[in-house]
Amino acid sequence: MKVAVVQFPGSNCDLDTLWALEQVGLKAELVWHSQDSLEGFAAVVLPGGFSYGDYLRAGALAKFSPVMRAVRQLARQGYPVLGICNGFQVLTEAGLLPGALLANTNLHFTCKEVYVRLERTDLPFTQGYAPGQLLRLPIAHAEGRYYADNQTLQQLEENRQVVFRYAPPPEGPKEGYNPNGALNDIAGIVNQQGNVLGMMPHPERALEETLGSSDGRSLFESLKQALAVVGL
Amino acid sequence: MRYHATILIELKEGILDPQGRAVEGVLQGQGFAVQDVRVGRVLEMTLEAPDAQSAQAQAQAIGNALANPVMEVFVVESLKEQP
Repeated sequence: MKVAVVQFPGSNCDLDTLWALEQVGLKAELVWHSQDSLEGFAAVVLPGGFSYGDYLRAGALAKFSPVMRAVRQLARQGYPVLGICNGFQVLTEAGLLPGALLANTNLHFTCKEVYVRLERTDLPFTQGYAPGQLLRLPIAHAEGRYYADNQTLQQLEENRQVVFRYAPPPEGPKEGYNPNGALNDIAGIVNQQGNVLGMMPHPERALEETLGSSDGRSLFESLKQALAVVGL
Repeated sequence: MRYHATILIELKEGILDPQGRAVEGVLQGQGFAVQDVRVGRVLEMTLEAPDAQSAQAQAQAIGNALANPVMEVFVVESLKEQP
């Protein structure tokens, strides 16, 4: 079984994501967004980039792509669905994850390394990490300010759906670490079933120390392990 | 019949609008006594519909499809029959 990496017009982390999946030994294939079936795929990744040029809103037009019907179906059936950066924006726009990603408070496109604290290690994407582990991952976005109404936020917290939270570096100032103004320092959330994950940081850009960090590698290894356990 | 529709999409009240803030700061710097500046989007289109009522319904449906109810509201600002 293979992992699908969806290419929307304007995706630009598709090949990096494909590479990352292959690095840990997963079989992965690019799927053009106009395909309406994901038959034969055991998981799907919506990569980063600027789908449809971010026109209207980031992710707003991509949600209408035919492939999204297949993504919904996989999600409903419990298969792992991962949205990275623009992929996260697409998942919220499509209603597969609650909330929305608004323009960074400082209005800047922010490209840098941040620290995030891992809140869940019982997911197909995170089981290889240590509980509470602090990860150093790159971000690169202009619309990453996670927003949801109070009731939704409360539900997210109660159901432990926050997976990654921006955190201060181990040594350094304990404030000013949230790069975009996200509510509750949210950098990534999962759906209630635990199979649809959206995250603003780019794990696929953090697979080797030569790239600045290898903290993203376990995410893909976790996914591989999860797929192997259920015989996929 | 052809109708010209204008749909206005705005951020919900209470949601921080950094674009509006930046514009407000500049306007104030220019000496304008303004506050509460918000930046939205205007969509204009020509619709094909049998009558005004169904053109209105179409414009509403388009607004529903394009606005994100988590943080936005929309209004069909105007609907005019075209010659």
